[in-house]
Amino acid sequence: MYKQVFKLAAPVLLVVSFAMGLTLHPAVAADTPAVDETDAAQFARGARTWADTCARCHNMRDPKELRADQWRSAVAHMRVRSGMTGGEARDVLAFLQGGSDAQVGLATQGLAVAPVISDDTNAGKAIYAQTCIACHGADGKGSIPGVTDLNAGDGPLSKTDEELVRNISEGFQSPGSFIAMPAKGGNPTLTEEDIKAVLEYLRVEFGE
Amino acid sequence: MKSSNRWKNTVISVSALLITATPAFAQTDASRIAELEEKMSLLSEQLAALQSELSQVKTEGQTATAEEIQSLRTEVGAARQIALQATQRPNVMTSTTSTTHLSGYASADFISPENGNSAFTANFNPMFHFQWKDKILWEAELAFELQEDGETEVELEYTTIDFFLNDNIIFIAGKFLSPLGNFRQNLHPSWINKLPSAPPGFGHDGAAPIAEVGMQLRGGVNVGTNSKITYAGYVGNGPILEGEGGEIHGINAGGFAGDADGRKVVGGRISYLPFPRLEIAVSSAFGDAAVTEDDGFAVSGDPLRNYNVFGFDVTYQWKDFDFRSEYISQDVADSALSISPEGGKWETWYAQGAYKFANAKWEGVLRFTDYTTPHPDLSQEQWAIGLGYLVSSSAMIKAAYEINTGLTGEISDDDRWLLQVAYGY
Ligand code: HEC
Ligand code: HEC
Repeated sequence: MYKQVFKLAAPVLLVVSFAMGLTLHPAVAADTPAVDETDAAQFARGARTWADTCARCHNMRDPKELRADQWRSAVAHMRVRSGMTGGEARDVLAFLQGGSDAQVGLATQGLAVAPVISDDTNAGKAIYAQTCIACHGADGKGSIPGVTDLNAGDGPLSKTDEELVRNISEGFQSPGSFIAMPAKGGNPTLTEEDIKAVLEYLRVEFGE
Repeated sequence: MKSSNRWKNTVISVSALLITATPAFAQTDASRIAELEEKMSLLSEQLAALQSELSQVKTEGQTATAEEIQSLRTEVGAARQIALQATQRPNVMTSTTSTTHLSGYASADFISPENGNSAFTANFNPMFHFQWKDKILWEAELAFELQEDGETEVELEYTTIDFFLNDNIIFIAGKFLSPLGNFRQNLHPSWINKLPSAPPGFGHDGAAPIAEVGMQLRGGVNVGTNSKITYAGYVGNGPILEGEGGEIHGINAGGFAGDADGRKVVGGRISYLPFPRLEIAVSSAFGDAAVTEDDGFAVSGDPLRNYNVFGFDVTYQWKDFDFRSEYISQDVADSALSISPEGGKWETWYAQGAYKFANAKWEGVLRFTDYTTPHPDLSQEQWAIGLGYLVSSSAMIKAAYEINTGLTGEISDDDRWLLQVAYGY
């Protein structure tokens, strides 16, 4: 008997929640592409969700692997699979589109300079905490497989400022590396001053 | 009277305005004319210079022919067009309301059993996505598998239309991968599975349901800052029971467009992630099923019996370690009046640990599985050890050895070497 009730209830529940979804929340999301957002915080949230979510079932896919438009359907697909919320999916999409090659140039065109950054290590620290920490971790050792340890004596920080600023700005992948460092950590709103500030922070915090 | 007065006033003030404004116009006109005259004289100077240059070129006999110039013009025009299109393309891609994406995966395998012939095999699964805004996604996957006799078997793995109702609810209709358990829906593609083979019991007619045709609701909600709950609930046609010589050979939960037993199955999975890298989930489903096939022939009117699924799975990741374990079982009750009266339980569980090393280019894997069915010849215990080389995050070469313990003399008792090249694209 209880099964009969349940079986009736299930389709009814389906229909009701469908209707609820459509009426209570008519707007699923803004239809504008995520790259139009100048919100640096969204990129930071996106990087974090990416680092937290996208290696749960399979190896991390490189943001550079797909074009911005392809990430749109891949992220929608992954939202279905992973149980991400709509908000998380939009953040991840903004992050991935920022890190995908085709989009970086476009996203940086005509964008305002990132907010509240003056060039000292405090500003660098703020940028690190916002944009870089998701992948590099608070200790700089890397929080996901494939991220190089910034502390290592003969590691990345033994390179010159000029080279590192370039690698952070344009993105970087050492030969045979598992995943790439996305340009500007996936946050296209970072300016050259921001990058210099964050590099200064890296040297103070993780350098010798 | 009053209105004609108003008109008069208007006329006077407008003409006054015009009169005072005219000199201003005249003035600017005069200065513009002077400016133009200046430009004209500059231009005629330049023209003269050009003419003398041209005649010089002519006398030197190096003129380009009209055709040459014309063809250069068209070439420049074409290049300009391409450059324009190139700069506009990214815009077009992100501003259209729909997107298509073709992806999927392929693998090539070599399997060498202890007793029996080794063989190569290959398959590929194309996957299609078509999305409208961020509201609707159509996803579908086909499986092309090469058979031993050289035939190609094509199967519709899934095809669903997904409506994103709001940030926490997705409505799905069609044929979908069974949301019960973890391996079948999330880990079976060859580029995701860390070993070349599925754990015993996760294949067809095994312990884990594979697909379902019906409707599903799924999504996730964040609880607190770091934790999350994900859910999936469905109603579908359910499985069919395959009889063989008076016994139930297997529960075929591969997803059917018909419902021979006429009863729906209801089920779902709920998972809890206390923090992002730990997921704990339970799955369950129940309904009715009936024997609808016996020794390959269709059967009708066999009595209904209870069908149940129960599953539990956990995933934990820490730095370069990846640990997974899953239990799942399907069972059907006895039914005295059936042509296959005895029911039974198909159950399996595995535990798998993997570790990435050498800059995440290599991955070692160890997995134990224990699969029990009502048929001793199909039950199996397995240790599998493997090593993978990651060419990229979704392309890898895997080698593995399976130590299988089953009924002596059966295939399930044969140890095997496996080699696989897999690529998810
Ligand atoms: C719950 C498990 C799970 C999570 C979490 C997950 N994926 Fe996937 N992903 C899959 C599966 C399974 C496939 C293969 C799809 C198939 O075969 O149907 C896949 C396929 C892909 C593909 C191949 C193209 C496609 O769309 O199928 C990309 C790219 C991808 N995932 C990226 C991501 C990103 C980015 C994230 C984080 C937002 C993510 N995945 C999180 C399970 C997951
Ligand atoms: C999405 C993950 C991710 C984010 C976000 C990220 N990085 Fe990286 N970073 C990487 C990976 C992966 C590498 C290693 C790439 C390689 O060696 O192939 C790397 C490497 C580096 C290196 C070494 C480069 C070299 O020349 O060896 C520096 C410096 C660096 N990152 C700085 C930053 C800064 C600063 C930020 C924030 C603005 C940041 N990263 C954000 C993933 C990330």
